[in-house]
Amino acid sequence: MLSCKDIADRASALNDGELSGWDALQIRLHLAMCKGCSRFVAQMRATDQLAARASDPGEPLEHEADDRRLTEILSTLRKEQSRH
Amino acid sequence: MLANQLQEKHCIQRLKAGDEAVFRALYTRHNQPLIRMAATIVNSRATAEEVVQETWMAVLKNIGTFEGRSSLAGWIFTILINKARTRARRDGRSVSFDEGGEDDNLSTAFDGHGRWKAMPELWDEITPERIVAGRGLAEHMRMAIDALPPAQRAVIVLRVQQEFEPSEVCAILGLSDGNMRILLHRARLSLRATLAKLL
Ligand SMILES: [Zn+2]
Repeated sequence: MLSCKDIADRASALNDGELSGWDALQIRLHLAMCKGCSRFVAQMRATDQLAARASDPGEPLEHEADDRRLTEILSTLRKEQSRH
Repeated sequence: MLANQLQEKHCIQRLKAGDEAVFRALYTRHNQPLIRMAATIVNSRATAEEVVQETWMAVLKNIGTFEGRSSLAGWIFTILINKARTRARRDGRSVSFDEGGEDDNLSTAFDGHGRWKAMPELWDEITPERIVAGRGLAEHMRMAIDALPPAQRAVIVLRVQQEFEPSEVCAILGLSDGNMRILLHRARLSLRATLAKLL
C-alpha cells in the first residue's frame, strides 16, 4: 500500500503523465480514497499552471526596454549586412 | 506536433533568409525567459540583459549553421547558457547546476505512518489575476520563482514555462535525468508551499 508521503513524492511524475501501468493504478486507487492526497495533487497541478502563466510578459516598462534592445540588434545586423 | 515542426522549419528558413519580422516574433517570445534564465547564472539583472543581447547577436550570426538537431529554442538557450557561464566564470562565480538544493519542505507534513498530519486545503480560484496580500497571484509566483535556488529556477523556466521536453532540459543544463526530476519536484514543492501560506 502506498502511503500519503509516497503519493506526494510521486505527484510531479503523476501530473506530468509519466506513470503507467501498476504504478498509476495504485496511485489512482489511493487518490480515490484519500481526500488529502487528491487535494495535494490538485494543488501541485494548480501551482504548475500558475508558474507557467507567471512567465507571461510583465510590465509595460519591460516591453519598452525589449523594443529598444531589439532595435539595437536589428540596426547592428543591417550595418553588418551592408558591409558585405 | 507535426504542424509545429513544419512551422519551426519554416521559421528557421525565414531566419536564415534574414526575415526581420520572424526574428522580431522570436525575440518577443523568448527575450524575457532568456533574461530570467541568465539571471540564474550571472550576478545581476543588468549583466543578464547584456548576456542575452550577446546571445541574440550570436543567434543571428550563426543561424546559417544551425542544423536542427535540437529545437530552435533549445539551441538559443544553449548559446545563452554557454555565454552566461563564460561571463560568470570571468566574474569569479561558480556556475554548476549540479546541486540538489535543500531537502524538500514536506518532511514534517506526515506522521510516522506517512499519513498527512494536517489535511491539505482545497484551493479554488487560482487565477493569475486574483489579488492576495496586495498582489496578484502571478506576481507572488514570479517572486517565489526568483527566490528558488538557481538550479531549481533554471529547471522551472525551461520545463514548466518554456515547456521543453525533459531530455532537452537535461541537455541544455548538463543535468542527469534523475537530478533534473529531483530539482523539478523540489521546486514545485517549494512554490506550492509559498502559495499554501498565502491562500
Ligand atoms: Zn493519501
